[in-house]
Amino acid sequence: MNNKLKRALSGGGVLALASLMAAPLSAASQSGAQLLQERCTSCHTPTADGGLSRISEQRKTPEGWMTTLNRMQSQRGLRISADERRAIIKYLADTQGLAPAETSGKRYLLEQTPNVLDDTPAEYAEMCARCHSGARFALQRRTEGEWERLVHFHMGQFPTLEFHALSRDRAWFELAVSDVVPQLATDFPLKSTAWDQWQQADKPAPAGGWTVAGYLPGKGEFSATLTLNAKGDDHYGLTLSGQYADGSPLTGQGSAVVYTGYELRASLTVAGVKMRQVLALSADGSRMQGRMFPRGATEMGGELSAIKAGHSAILAISPAYIRQGESRTLTLTGNGLTGKVRLASGLKLDQVISRSATQLVLKVSAQSGAQPGLRRIQVGSSAMQVALYDQLVRVDVVPADSIARVGGNGGKQAKVNATYRAVGYAAGKDGKAGTEDDLALGYMPASWSLKPFDAVAEHDKDLDYAGTIDARGVFTPGDAGLNPERKMSTNNVGQLAVVATVKTVATEQQGQARLLVTVQDYIKSPLQ
Amino acid sequence: MKLTQMYKASAITLALGSAALLSGCASTGSGDTAMVAGKEYLLTSTRPNLLHVVDVETNKLLRSCKIPGIFGSNSIVPSPDGRIAYVLTNKWEDVYGFDITNCEKVFSAKQSYQNVQIKTIISLAVSPDGNELYTVQNPVVKHADRFEVQQPRLAVFNTADGLNARAKRFYPVDRRITKIGAMDNGEVILGGADLKAIDPKTGDIRVLKKLQNWQRPADKWVAPDAFAMQAQGEHVGEYILPYFTIKWNGAPGEMEKAEFWWGMNRIDLASGKLESNELVPFEFIFFNLVTDPNNPDIVYGAFNNLSKHSVSQHKTLATEDLEHTYYTINMTRDGSRLYVGGTSSDISIHDPKTLKKTGSIQLPGDMSTADMRIARLRD
Repeated sequence: MNNKLKRALSGGGVLALASLMAAPLSAASQSGAQLLQERCTSCHTPTADGGLSRISEQRKTPEGWMTTLNRMQSQRGLRISADERRAIIKYLADTQGLAPAETSGKRYLLEQTPNVLDDTPAEYAEMCARCHSGARFALQRRTEGEWERLVHFHMGQFPTLEFHALSRDRAWFELAVSDVVPQLATDFPLKSTAWDQWQQADKPAPAGGWTVAGYLPGKGEFSATLTLNAKGDDHYGLTLSGQYADGSPLTGQGSAVVYTGYELRASLTVAGVKMRQVLALSADGSRMQGRMFPRGATEMGGELSAIKAGHSAILAISPAYIRQGESRTLTLTGNGLTGKVRLASGLKLDQVISRSATQLVLKVSAQSGAQPGLRRIQVGSSAMQVALYDQLVRVDVVPADSIARVGGNGGKQAKVNATYRAVGYAAGKDGKAGTEDDLALGYMPASWSLKPFDAVAEHDKDLDYAGTIDARGVFTPGDAGLNPERKMSTNNVGQLAVVATVKTVATEQQGQARLLVTVQDYIKSPLQ
Repeated sequence: MKLTQMYKASAITLALGSAALLSGCASTGSGDTAMVAGKEYLLTSTRPNLLHVVDVETNKLLRSCKIPGIFGSNSIVPSPDGRIAYVLTNKWEDVYGFDITNCEKVFSAKQSYQNVQIKTIISLAVSPDGNELYTVQNPVVKHADRFEVQQPRLAVFNTADGLNARAKRFYPVDRRITKIGAMDNGEVILGGADLKAIDPKTGDIRVLKKLQNWQRPADKWVAPDAFAMQAQGEHVGEYILPYFTIKWNGAPGEMEKAEFWWGMNRIDLASGKLESNELVPFEFIFFNLVTDPNNPDIVYGAFNNLSKHSVSQHKTLATEDLEHTYYTINMTRDGSRLYVGGTSSDISIHDPKTLKKTGSIQLPGDMSTADMRIARLRD
């Protein structure tokens, strides 16, 4: 449980990301290669193959290189201008980055997604992931010697490391060097076919118009047009224009940089709020996928997917479910939604309420006796499935395990919220809830409440102190600091169950998630 | 359930610790109080970096000595004559000795040098004759572009070297050594993965008790986690190190059938006699233990509560809630008072018979990880 909770800490400090995101073009920007020679060679020595010691033996994400530069500046005496810093990060991410395939499954860390429980192999779970997310090291590539130097770095930089729980009870340093370093070098080697191929590949060109679909906690689902205007050297101007599902407008402006040929990092202002986008371009340049979040509150972000003008696809159907005998309005978001609308058996098109190339609003009814299951909705050559169901039998709250952090109250750290959505299920063919064949219905509207997680939480009256949840599933934790009303004047920490209640015409179902409200996070890193 | 409670307890501890950091700022205490041979004086340290001397008869703060450098960990060991307090400070690196009767700095040693970073994790002891001071050094060479970890070593200083002392002898030791202590026979106890003793004249090491390498079957017992951040035991002349282990009554990992145990290693510094055994079922956390000087069967522990245990009966006899988390505990030589300190800025005083609180000492800053020792001044 401890490890799970620790890994749930992943989406963390991100203020430092500012320099990666908002990177205006500088007339004075020098070549990264030249800057490396000028700024880094007082410590890093030339290697036989023309590189620099340590630097040439690693590949990292843009945020990874930024973390390194942060440390060189704050602790190793490196003095460089903001422009030089950006140029070095860009150069290193472009020339010693990760191929798209090498970030697969680990992008949650780049995207600052909170409450991720990743599946770290046992050999790394106790050695690396007891402090880091499982993605921290899996998003790096090094030679074996360089992985070993990383272990030595940890011992020198964090001298108490050997004495933590899960270190002092084993020969931590010896095991790290003898067992884990060779494993890391095998699993995450400097040289890879994926990287060789990506370096040779034609890189996608993101300039132009994109249709995006996404979600922001507290705001809801949205659709919009994202336009990227090329400014040269992988820098872009950015505009966002669209609306939330409730019809309220969503507009923003900013800038973006593409690193490593596909890693788009955008900084934009939406309704006065500074937001970030971390997106990956697909190799063919037709799609982008990632996350958008407020700069100072990464947990208040959500997923975002985009398709480029000229490519046809359905990005989202909302809602993604329809019950037997029911008539529903379904909103399709995508590109090139101009072709004929065709519905699979059991579904009938009652009316096209509105349509454009990027949004199609349909009135659809489901036959009362139709077999439950997934059904295709096709528009021209594009298609996506919706769930035709008989009865709601189960509700899951996502994320199932989560953390919020007390804050504010005059302290330096803001509260860290937790946000939830409800996913509905029908029983599937076996007629039983909670089995493998349950039919997922997608996100459903829910009403939200809290209760004590267990007897300890009840005894300590966590419900009275730990925080509140609003009608949109956004939990706001209590104020930071000692609370004299509580036993031992403890902070407003606690363990709560977050309960979603989903009502349909026929039934009402509840689901719940575990929420640990804990103290502030004093370790701020772009990649935790 | 237990692990959940533990997690929560640690979250609360962090909350208390971090909030406490915001409060208070140190000042020097009152000056010229005469100190008397034979009396006991409580020694502890607070942020920003002060050594405090408290009269345990009156529980009054007598004086506060300014320690150079940054706080951390501020382990303290009194000299055998009770006059000098040696403090490990400056983020686990430097050692200073102060005459507690007047705050005069009589000893100093900066352990790091040139490009070698040396950290000492708690390990601080003085020889029975007061002539030698021991630390376990964990050196790391800081090259221009990389770190290089070196073998840990016992460093031996002559206390008579005074200021800017340098170690006279080094002997290689295991990694991960924390609490050390000097026995009357001259050997230094090394508390690490296993309990060992080193002869500081020759570097010869012998095993006192295997802990992580104990010979119990792995399908029945989890190798112990032996760890303590603070030192005590001077009131009875002992070295004491608690440990935690799990006994599997079913398959390994089958928590429902498992027993969770506190254990205790206790060494009589005069005779070298070692006790090492399970103590009481693990029901709550304590960070440190002290022995009742009037009854070695009784030990006391502290963390979120103060607790009293029978060694022979493997039983917790009594507990008393504390007002907040305290990391360390100590006791007067006559066994009349328990002092619970560390973490925050107050020391809580308790009656060993009832565990009830009888008093409090307010300090000008937070003790955090600092030791709380009780020295007896000799002529």
